[in-house]
Amino acid sequence: MKSLVLRLLAIVAAWPPAVGAQPAAPLQSPLTPRDSAWHALNRLAYGPRPGEIERVAAGGVLRWIDAQLAPDKIDDETVAKREREFDVLKYDRGDLARLYAEVQRARQERKRMGEIAADKPDDSPVAMKGRRFAAQFQQLAVVRAALSERQLYEVMVDFWTNHFNVYFAKGADRFLTPDYVEHTIRPHAMGRFEDLLIATAKSPAMLFYLDNWESVAPGAALPFPLSARRRGGQGVRTGINENYARELLELHTLGVDGGYGQHDVIDVARIFTGWSIRRPQQGADFEFHDWAHDTGDKQVLDIEFERGHGMDEGIRLLKLLANHPATTHHISRQLCQRFVNDDPPDGCVDDAVAAWQRSRGDIREVLRAIFHGPDFWAAANVRAKVKTPLEFVVSAARAVDAEPDTTPRLAQVVARLGEPLYLHVAPDGYPEREEAWVNSGALLDRMNAAVALAAGRLPGASVSPDSVVPATADPERLIASIDAGILGGTMSDNTRRVIRNQLSDINDAVQARALAVGLAIGGPEFQRQ
Amino acid sequence: MSISRRVFVKSGGLALFSFGLDPLFLARAAFASYRPVPSSTALSRPILVCLFQRGAVDGLNMIVPHGDPLYYRERPRIAVPERDVVDLDGYFGLHPRLAALKPLWDSKRLAAIHAVGSPDATRSHFDAQDYMESGTPGVKATPDGWLNRYCQHDREHQDTPFRAVAFGPELPRILAGTAPSLAIGDLQAFGLRAPQPAARDRLTRAFEELYAGSATGLLSASSQEAFEAVQTLKRVDPTQYQPANGADYPRGKLGKAMLEIAQLIKADAGLQVAFADVTGWDTHVNQGASEGQLAARLAELAQTLTAFARDLGDRLENVVVLTMSEFGRTVRENGNSGTDHGHATAMLVLGGPVNGGRVLGAWPGLDPANRFEGRDVAVTTDFRDLFAEVLARHLGARDLSAIFPGFIPDPARFPGALSA
Repeated sequence: MKSLVLRLLAIVAAWPPAVGAQPAAPLQSPLTPRDSAWHALNRLAYGPRPGEIERVAAGGVLRWIDAQLAPDKIDDETVAKREREFDVLKYDRGDLARLYAEVQRARQERKRMGEIAADKPDDSPVAMKGRRFAAQFQQLAVVRAALSERQLYEVMVDFWTNHFNVYFAKGADRFLTPDYVEHTIRPHAMGRFEDLLIATAKSPAMLFYLDNWESVAPGAALPFPLSARRRGGQGVRTGINENYARELLELHTLGVDGGYGQHDVIDVARIFTGWSIRRPQQGADFEFHDWAHDTGDKQVLDIEFERGHGMDEGIRLLKLLANHPATTHHISRQLCQRFVNDDPPDGCVDDAVAAWQRSRGDIREVLRAIFHGPDFWAAANVRAKVKTPLEFVVSAARAVDAEPDTTPRLAQVVARLGEPLYLHVAPDGYPEREEAWVNSGALLDRMNAAVALAAGRLPGASVSPDSVVPATADPERLIASIDAGILGGTMSDNTRRVIRNQLSDINDAVQARALAVGLAIGGPEFQRQ
Repeated sequence: MSISRRVFVKSGGLALFSFGLDPLFLARAAFASYRPVPSSTALSRPILVCLFQRGAVDGLNMIVPHGDPLYYRERPRIAVPERDVVDLDGYFGLHPRLAALKPLWDSKRLAAIHAVGSPDATRSHFDAQDYMESGTPGVKATPDGWLNRYCQHDREHQDTPFRAVAFGPELPRILAGTAPSLAIGDLQAFGLRAPQPAARDRLTRAFEELYAGSATGLLSASSQEAFEAVQTLKRVDPTQYQPANGADYPRGKLGKAMLEIAQLIKADAGLQVAFADVTGWDTHVNQGASEGQLAARLAELAQTLTAFARDLGDRLENVVVLTMSEFGRTVRENGNSGTDHGHATAMLVLGGPVNGGRVLGAWPGLDPANRFEGRDVAVTTDFRDLFAEVLARHLGARDLSAIFPGFIPDPARFPGALSA
């Protein structure tokens, strides 16, 4: 925290507002510097922490945005220190794969002894350890989102993890998912889209999730005897599996109206035959199986892929897809939907597409175009989005300067609000539109979480609200500091009136603050961003 | 239309409630062998309860083809002995631990559909459950579930927060989608939480005022629903609920979920579509025959369903319970006295409107020549034909192809679980 303050002070000192190379506030924006800072902190970050609106406004919001676009240059020691508390990060994929294999072995053994039904929870120590790691990994996402100085980077990690969705609870993805997020998504989240796409295509988690690991050229001869038991008693599958091919085109790249047909899906699947994984006991690394690859002629989107190629034709296809106009449009649209409006303005999408083409898919440049464009700052798009469950929980924690611990409690709140981390079963990821998560039950749960957090009763998050809302017996001062510190000055007259009424018979300053902060965070203004 | 209908239903429900205080009458109504003429008045609001048996139930030991010697030949250790089977029609019979369901069968309120399942060949629990809940076998990218799509397309009932409820901590795939639906882990804990009732009421009022005065768009509509739901539940008071007619729900999640569903139904909370699930059906090892692992799960199922029917009394006249499971299990027992992942299974349909007392669906037999991939019971009824029939004939759904995209449900293929 201190280092950020120093850094911002340094930036301010080095480039005094209004004489820098770039304007310190967005052009043509009706927003005040404070409003601009509040807006940017809600969209590029998981909401402001105490004092952050003032700091960003003072340093110039565009400068803050540009700094966020270069996350490598932002010191993030606080999070690095916290990460060391998460045991799951000390295990690499090989370790987790062996743990998984051990769980499976123990489970088979117990099943053989008739001790458990196959779908009963397994309470063996090794299985419990696996579950503890899974919960810890979900919580890690919350901790990073809450505490990282590289806020935009964490937002983009969330965006891409959701875009290239895998399901944490599907078989081997129970142990492949942490590796996927750490080593596939995170290194590429602010790099080139092409690199990210290739990384996901080669990732064991995705190969398993969308079944490509068992996609085999029709008639291919197995190089070794494969018993039916080894495939979970499901019999040996031969032939191509189209799942990855279809989702690659429909979700990861071109989009559903991207101009491809079923014959393209089939030939894409043929191109990816042989892209597989080693057995968990051997570390579950990516492995290309020559014997399983279909070496015949293929044609995708009217482009010939001549016979006789191996893994190289898959890479060629991925590069082609990564920079296809339909892909740039599809993903630019999704980014505008995430950062600007559930119904993304055409102008935003056009700006993003142009930047994509200029930079050959440099994600930072696409984002820069969106944040510098007029749509991002248009009054109609400010407060136009409702926070997702993760955004709500993390922004609430940040608003009261809460420090989440390593227990999975906050991640469990995110789950209760409707979007458990890494657990969206379908490959499309959680929808970006508010209809998907705004409903009566989830709203009540938001109110409950807000009240508990404000009262310091939310397990897993130690709250220190003094820095944002000093306890006071004076309702007007309390309301004013909540409006400025938590709601960014958006408190409505009605909210002011309701909170004032509620405070009328409460004399205890700490109790009054807890109630007022709880109502503010659980109330309608805080749900928006 | 919807408002007048709702007021009508609510007042009708009150009348019923006072009627419902006579347990003898209810017991008679629930188990009598005659079928009362369905009332066209307040009672007629139909309700569907879907019960997912996760893990793939062994349809052959649930609805036993005891008339087929092949059944006994293929399952020397786990077949239900002839003497234990509760015979239904001379060929099929109930597992003995389902015997409690026999009176419902005899009063035509329970039907079974055999050889029902997915046209997709997958034997992965994950994929098959996904397909059965999305309603689109073979298509993974379907964003929503078929129960939710039903709610999207039939907007007449959209006006109550308890319209579509899943009992469990998270919303299942089957109810995922844009139509409002609730996941309720514990009915008693629904709403604002505070140590004392007075504090809770105060908090509820405060948030209600906040949202009534400042919320816009979807936040406004959803919050109104939320506070209406809280009001409804306050009236219901789940903490004080006593099942009627001595209904005895088993302990455990399934019994609790069905008890809470019965409670919402009787409270006229606006419930139209409910979902619950129960695990424990993946019996690869030591499955058991008349007794054992599977028998214990079936006993819990039967006790839950009978308690539910008894508790509902004459409210069962408008309720259909539909069980489902992602696939069936191998015809032949495996080396561990269990069964492996198969293809078709059996499903149950229970309730007043059911055309019961029959095993429905075309039975392909157990002859290896007629089996799927030489080993499993073949699917002769696409699960979507059964689900579509229930939606069309019970809930009055009209646009079935929007609910099951890529599929054209045809009444000619409906298995006949409900009268046309």
